[in-house]
Amino acid sequence: MSSGQSTDVIENPGRPSGVPCRFWRGFGRVGGLAQGLVVPAALLIAWGFSANLGWLPEQILPPPSEVFGALRETMNDGTLLSSTLTSLRRVAEGFLAGAVLGLAFGFVTGASRLAESLVAPLFLTLSQVPTLGWIPILILFVGIDESLKVLIIGWAAFIPVALNTTQGVRDVPRAFLELGRVLSLSRWSTLRSIILPSAVPSIFTGLREGLANSWQTLVVVELIASFEGLGYLMAYGRQLFQLELVLAAMIVVGLIGLSINLLLSLIESHLQRWNPGRQS
Amino acid sequence: MSILVRALDNVGVKNSLLRIEDVSKAFVLSGRAVQALSHIDLDVERGEFVSIVGASGCGKSTLLRLILGLDTEYDGAIRLDGRRIERPGLDRSIVFQEHRLLPWLTVEANVGAALRQIKLNGAEKRARVSEQLQLVGLEAFAKAYPAQLSGGMAQRVAIARALVTNPKFLLLDEPLGALDALTRLRLQDELLRIVRDRAATAILVTHDVDEAVYLGDRIVIMNPHPGRIATVLPVPKAMSRDRSDPEFIRLRDEVLARLGVDRAALRDRTTEVLAGHARR
Amino acid sequence: MTSSVMGASGASTRAPVRSRFTPASLTPRLRPVIVPILGLALWEIAARTGLADPRFLPTLEAIAVRGVKEFSENGVTSDLAASLARDLLGFVAGASIGVALGLALGFSRLLERLLSPLLLAHRQIALFAWVPLISMWFGGGEAGKVVFIALAAFQPALTNTWQGVAGIPKIYRELSRVLTFSGWDFAVVIALPGALPGIFTGLHAALIYAWTATVGAELLLDIAPGIGGRMNEGQHLFHIDLLFLCVFLLGLLGVAFNLFAGALERRLMSWRHS
Repeated sequence: MSSGQSTDVIENPGRPSGVPCRFWRGFGRVGGLAQGLVVPAALLIAWGFSANLGWLPEQILPPPSEVFGALRETMNDGTLLSSTLTSLRRVAEGFLAGAVLGLAFGFVTGASRLAESLVAPLFLTLSQVPTLGWIPILILFVGIDESLKVLIIGWAAFIPVALNTTQGVRDVPRAFLELGRVLSLSRWSTLRSIILPSAVPSIFTGLREGLANSWQTLVVVELIASFEGLGYLMAYGRQLFQLELVLAAMIVVGLIGLSINLLLSLIESHLQRWNPGRQS
Repeated sequence: MSILVRALDNVGVKNSLLRIEDVSKAFVLSGRAVQALSHIDLDVERGEFVSIVGASGCGKSTLLRLILGLDTEYDGAIRLDGRRIERPGLDRSIVFQEHRLLPWLTVEANVGAALRQIKLNGAEKRARVSEQLQLVGLEAFAKAYPAQLSGGMAQRVAIARALVTNPKFLLLDEPLGALDALTRLRLQDELLRIVRDRAATAILVTHDVDEAVYLGDRIVIMNPHPGRIATVLPVPKAMSRDRSDPEFIRLRDEVLARLGVDRAALRDRTTEVLAGHARR
Repeated sequence: MTSSVMGASGASTRAPVRSRFTPASLTPRLRPVIVPILGLALWEIAARTGLADPRFLPTLEAIAVRGVKEFSENGVTSDLAASLARDLLGFVAGASIGVALGLALGFSRLLERLLSPLLLAHRQIALFAWVPLISMWFGGGEAGKVVFIALAAFQPALTNTWQGVAGIPKIYRELSRVLTFSGWDFAVVIALPGALPGIFTGLHAALIYAWTATVGAELLLDIAPGIGGRMNEGQHLFHIDLLFLCVFLLGLLGVAFNLFAGALERRLMSWRHS
């Protein structure tokens, strides 16, 4: 898109006349960091004040101290740890199942036009139904034990993994496949040295989306039909009007989400280190 | 049109339109200071066509950006008609190497975009746009979108856009570099015709020596590390713009030699090697 | 399919006309439906012969009958209408705020630096984790659901719009400086059209997220009419035919949404596909 012009080594900000950022320029890099912290800091301070001065009832916004208190309590009595572990375990199981099946499905439909034309339409139609929509039916079929979680989380992971793997395998550039033929590579070698590396970016995109979906689905399932896990903690806190518990659990959920994203980014940039265009 | 008449009036007046006075520019690239331009002095007369040739890294494109006003951090001064250049202005137009046509606007809208900041009514603007498109021979494609044009055609639209504002100065940054050889030759003729037709003052930056000699009234040869002017060669007025003309060839070879490409020596060396092989 | 060959005398001789309905040409067209039809056939057989427990796998006929009943008597249409209304309201609210903010962040580096940490943190929290909080702040009724749906639409609209503006190639930004565009010129001629693909991607994603949020919110905050409420009812009363019907309807709506969004995108961005 933006051609790296040989002249454009310097980053000349092409900003149209408009926003005067000159006030901050004097602070340099520290200024940039400070700008980033201003809003969150202000919000935190406002939160603390509002609770202390009683602007908002505790039902709406408990003071930060209570939220930290809830965090500490649940950490001490082990509920936080066990809930987190339960949630993580479910995601891992479901994601693994869904991803493995999705990869297999994706490879087959990507490589074989016949297979694709047979199963893809059905699969695509089924994936139009929002994943949550399957929950009530699944509850009737398998109850609300662990298999429900694994199945629904697995399905949530399966869809993007399968779609992206199919595309990754199918979109191997012709030129590379011809190269394989020219070099008289065996089918196995072709798969290993040409198709797989070429498909990896798409496959990874699918895995990334699959994991994100799995996590999102886990939260819903635990809110609807579970007696353990972080989602359950939030539902429990909600029922007892203990907002500090809800907020505490939300913070943990956010942290886990952040960790997942960071981990995936790291893996992705490692896998893509040969590709300067794609490093985010 | 009146502007053209006035320009013709001024041809008799011997004052430089553009003065580049002792311009130097350095910037930091991966921690090291790079001297992009070092003590550049150049005067350009009204109605003159100056070609700048040099290898990559000699700073010729950087110089254009300074003249354009996109970059104002340098030592020395650049004056247009006596006044320092502080920012881009419609008195200076540029044709880039990529056409940079906005893909969502038609050809005539693209050319018309340059007139946004000019106070003319709609009819006058349309007339001007039409005139420019006729000049570059693309009147029939006024309502086409850039995606429907070939590279050469798109670049011609870019030229029309650069000229529609009746600039005092036309800057050309390797305008034909992205085109295939045949289109390039055709467009060189077009450029020559257009520039002569309007008695425009222009600076062309190119790495194609033939192009520089073909189009220029003067040839500025730049060397890299640091970017500086090595020599300025005048193109004899009597010389015909014929690439087979011995005078043309002599001048071209001289430019090449100054750039470090000694073709005569290369020919002799090749003859020697072949003779050596024959002897064995 | 005909092919004609010009004979030496100039007269054309035609190859035999191939009928369009040979078995060979039929199979590729049939392939997409073979599996689903087989599947449905097996289903029907299994249900009718009692191979499958009818409480878990009702016959297709039973589902159809239930469908007719729901549409004519039990008012599933009003449920669907209620869900769609909520969805629309939430979507419009959330997506418009998202697009507006995305544009603002794209244009103003200052705003971007001030708000991006907050928005980044917000993105890390799984969408449905907001439900308990929102239901405590806004109640579990209409307001709560619409706020949640708006939140769901807000996120992708914001991110994609922001990227759309930020991703406008540098060469166009430079062009705007060279042509001495004012901020307004830049916005109208370059930024908005350039960001439009990103905005559309955002709206498309927002539509999908909003619908998922609608269904989810209705499953979780089970008050008032809605398709989610219907499904809860079906689940509690063990009316599996109702559940299958609802899943089918959800699928139809999903397809409709995607087709609609795709068609709209194609119409409004014809300049891309020259």
